[in-house]
Amino acid sequence: MAYKPQYYPGNTIIAENRRNHMSNNVQKVREISDEDLTACLGHRAPGSDYPSTHPPLAEMGEPDCPVRQMVTPTPGTAAGDRIRYVQWADSMYNAPAVPYWRSYHAAINYRGVDPGTLSGRQVVEARERDMEAIAKEQMETDMTCPGLAGIRGATVHGHSCRLQEDGVMFDMIDRRRLEGDVIIQDKDQVGVPLDRKVNLGKPMTPEEAAKKTTFYRVGNVAYRDDPEAIEWCQKVWELRTIYGYQPK
Amino acid sequence: MVRNASVNKKPIQVEIFPQRVLMPDTAEKLLNGIDKVPGVIRMLIQGPSLPTRVTCGPGTGSPVNHPDRRIINVSGHAFELNIRVGRIQIEIEDRSVKENIRKVAEENLPFPFEFREGFFIRRKATLVDYAKYGFKSKEDNSINLEDERLLGLVDPKANPKDRICMLESKDE
Repeated sequence: MAYKPQYYPGNTIIAENRRNHMSNNVQKVREISDEDLTACLGHRAPGSDYPSTHPPLAEMGEPDCPVRQMVTPTPGTAAGDRIRYVQWADSMYNAPAVPYWRSYHAAINYRGVDPGTLSGRQVVEARERDMEAIAKEQMETDMTCPGLAGIRGATVHGHSCRLQEDGVMFDMIDRRRLEGDVIIQDKDQVGVPLDRKVNLGKPMTPEEAAKKTTFYRVGNVAYRDDPEAIEWCQKVWELRTIYGYQPK
Repeated sequence: MVRNASVNKKPIQVEIFPQRVLMPDTAEKLLNGIDKVPGVIRMLIQGPSLPTRVTCGPGTGSPVNHPDRRIINVSGHAFELNIRVGRIQIEIEDRSVKENIRKVAEENLPFPFEFREGFFIRRKATLVDYAKYGFKSKEDNSINLEDERLLGLVDPKANPKDRICMLESKDE
């Protein structure tokens, strides 16, 4: 029987969602076109070629190195793409992804990524086309609710703000808003206006978000409601304290 | 700020803290409702700002054009709401006014809110206030302000223009 990684302890819906994000067991729930994605990211004009920082690896004449022979470069690396980023802010009011879980999702399921986790935002740096693949997957699947999360390169304020009356996470520079029953984005992630309105799809209802979230919180599923997760958390801390964290 | 109350009594302060940050329409209705309650001395609204331009990052300087940064009307006075209203602190004449304020909040907020009494807006001048406004005279060491209700409403270092609105109520 093939080895199946066990990603996260716990018997609650939150633990289940965390395992789903880590194992990339996420469902595609909306469609974002490549051009719309490129426009939202704002690193290059939609439809233009990927600018490169070095020639394709195949043309560079790489040195004879066993590691390079073993490791297949990612498409972005092979083409010599620039390193670019996508940064997310997720509302602490039951957004589907916790910043750490976006990092776990990227680090476990993709190669050549540099995820960075901060208190209220999460950034993934990678070669441009690799980063776009990750961003597209995150935008299109149920690990993102367009009302409770958004790509924000600057002025990320919103994670810990109360939601607006319409249930959307506060965005100081109005990159996206609720129009009718869908979220529309008309600025790129740093707030430069776009020449198009990108339809990010319907936001989740509060009930749906409560079921899809990876946030433990009082009012939904508190961390203390998950004895198995607590047990493992305490065990890891104990082992780390006593033995310098050498799990065997 | 409302001038329909005497400031001679010992006033108390209350805060309305809604579960969600308010859209301008709701904020306008709520502020107008509070303004109609007799006994309100002054109120302060607070929340995350809605800037006119992007202030940091590669998009610095781009216009924001936030649709919710707009003019609202309170008690016949129009002012630009440049924040998303997150909390409202009100100084009232005495404890009897408190329940009327709560009733107005219940009528105008479509979601739960916290309502508490406390000390939110300072009443005494600080050193920075004295540095800004000075003394009344060499003999009179009180702060050189015509209306001391302005104290604590804005940061002493900030420009009070466009941040303070004087509302003249009809019963005065």
